Amino acid sequence: MTQSILKGIAVGALALAAVAAAAPSAMAQDGKQIRIGAIVPSSGPFAEWGRTNTVTLKMLEDKVNAAGGVNGAKLEIVIYDDATKPAQAANSLRKLAGDDNVLAVAGPLTSSACEVTFPVANQMEIVAMSQASSKPGVAANNRPWAFRNTVDEAILAEESVPYLVDTFDVKDVAVIYDAKDAVSTAIATKIMPGILKEHGVEVLNDGDFLSFNTGELDVSAQVTKIISLDPDAVVIGADYSEAITVIREMRRQGFVKPVIGGTPLISSAILHAAPDIPIIAPATFYASMDEPRAKEFVAELQPLLKETSGLPESIEPSMYDANIYENVSMFIEAVEKAGVTGNPDDLAADRTKIRDYITNLKGFEGLGGPISFNKDGDAEKAFFIVRGEGEKWTTVVHGCSSQGGDC
Amino acid sequence: MLLQQLINGLTLGAVYTLIALSFSLVMGILGILNIAIAELFMLAGFIGITALMAGLPFPLALAAGIAGATVASVVIKFVAYDPVRSSPVITPLLTTLGCSIIIQNVVVNYWGSNPLQLPFEFLGERLRYGPISIGSMQILVMATSVASVAVLGFMIQRTRIGRGLRAAAENRDVARLLGVSAERLTIVAFALSGVLAGIAGVLIGMHYAAITPYVGVETGLKAIAVMVVGGVTRIWGALLAGPLIGIIEVMTIAHGGSQIRDLVVYGLMILILLIRPQGLLGGRSSDTGQRV
Repeated sequence: MTQSILKGIAVGALALAAVAAAAPSAMAQDGKQIRIGAIVPSSGPFAEWGRTNTVTLKMLEDKVNAAGGVNGAKLEIVIYDDATKPAQAANSLRKLAGDDNVLAVAGPLTSSACEVTFPVANQMEIVAMSQASSKPGVAANNRPWAFRNTVDEAILAEESVPYLVDTFDVKDVAVIYDAKDAVSTAIATKIMPGILKEHGVEVLNDGDFLSFNTGELDVSAQVTKIISLDPDAVVIGADYSEAITVIREMRRQGFVKPVIGGTPLISSAILHAAPDIPIIAPATFYASMDEPRAKEFVAELQPLLKETSGLPESIEPSMYDANIYENVSMFIEAVEKAGVTGNPDDLAADRTKIRDYITNLKGFEGLGGPISFNKDGDAEKAFFIVRGEGEKWTTVVHGCSSQGGDC
Repeated sequence: MLLQQLINGLTLGAVYTLIALSFSLVMGILGILNIAIAELFMLAGFIGITALMAGLPFPLALAAGIAGATVASVVIKFVAYDPVRSSPVITPLLTTLGCSIIIQNVVVNYWGSNPLQLPFEFLGERLRYGPISIGSMQILVMATSVASVAVLGFMIQRTRIGRGLRAAAENRDVARLLGVSAERLTIVAFALSGVLAGIAGVLIGMHYAAITPYVGVETGLKAIAVMVVGGVTRIWGALLAGPLIGIIEVMTIAHGGSQIRDLVVYGLMILILLIRPQGLLGGRSSDTGQRV
């Protein structure tokens, strides 16, 4: 009995000590530290993106601290891995907001994770800004704390579809998509068919879209079906790693026709899958783009990515590295300019100041041009329609997602 | 298109058969579902493609993939089966599930999460007969699938090791009393399942000229369905059920049901379990126990 009481006291004391140690303030003025959170998928299907995101954030942290920190305080970026699992992303946000007391959170990456995590951000009243989600309405449904430093896929498709139709004289298309991915499903089954029809293009398998599941290697039956429809082009709703499977199978079966998709297609890996198949996709950043700030960013980050184990030889900074870099840079600017005190007692007020600063932000200098946010919480920024062919991306259309076209 | 889809279905079925054989061997002898087999073939695929990309000839790449999967399989036997062999069957299921997650993590950490792509199509030439075509690699996968079943069947029925495995599957304690080393045979069962998973992984990787760390779950679950439909206790069942499920899946896609193909495949599995629990080639309805 006495032993169990003693054990209970010891466990209680340890728990209290742990709680005391694990309750930092966002800006410990005496310790001079400001704390920002990030949720990235360092494991799971998009581990490459999560790992390069992590290297990017470490680079930014080192750079800011080497330059004297944020208002003299040391920047600390607390990064959690959500493994691309929505529930894990929501738990990570709870931990960042409730235990780590961060001022704002960059992430999560996928639309599926955002759909679950953004409501938690609203409930806990902390800014969460995704670096990749582009499914329509995900931030708009979770105002005022949800933001996305991305452009809605519907806006992007308004530019990419006319380019495809005019350049390749496309009269009809067939659609195939990854049924387990939220943004891929939205792109392939809702966004693209609607815009294609507006441009007079027939969707040959309308209402009977071909699908496959994340991780499937055999899509031969789907591609044979596409070939039997004989479309002028193929719409692929999938991230690049899944789209590679479809493109390789198209090539294997001798079907070389242009492919169009959303931002998840952008990667260097997809260019090597079938260099003779033209790939049309939108991007707000790609590693070889010709913009001074982007070039500087790539020159800085690329060597660090190469040094990191677990990343392929051909790794390049991705669009989502650029976006998360911009996300945290915007938070830092908000801390510096919005009168954030960093006092633990002011945590709620500080988070509100950051939210209001981001909401009203105009012309933030992003890597591809100025960034603002619309009433839906989505970024208004420059974008490019790029064409992948011969193992390289080339910009074919410049666009701007703001209503006034001022990017 | 129908003939082309039949070829697609037979190739897909051959892939399922190869992996189902690996599941069937351990299930038949030890009565456990080694979930990690789904990741063993993925591991072998990565090793095989890496070896080919390093310039090794196909036989050496195949041997490397088989060796990797076999070693991993035997390690699983020692760390995830032996310590829990007396526990209820759910326990080894969970420990092997843990191993499968570890293997997937190791692969993601070493090779990354991007698909590992062969920069060339291995045996990429295709034979064309009018509107249909078949790749050399497809023929190799189908031939290997049939040969693997035949060799395994011969080994189980006609060799000393096979007799020992069957004896252990029938009654482990009696087999031990008759001088059969259960420990040695358990190692053999795990090693053989690793060899089969290795062959499957390397061939699948080369057939698709790419492999991803996440291929195991989708393909592995279908292979389990093949094992159940064919009959857990009969390895020849996989040779019937693999192409059957492959063709059903492909025809469902071809005729407008790509979104319901999993429902059709797993629905068939449930239907077989309800009306013929021993599987298509299983023996009597009471014959649902462990036996190769």
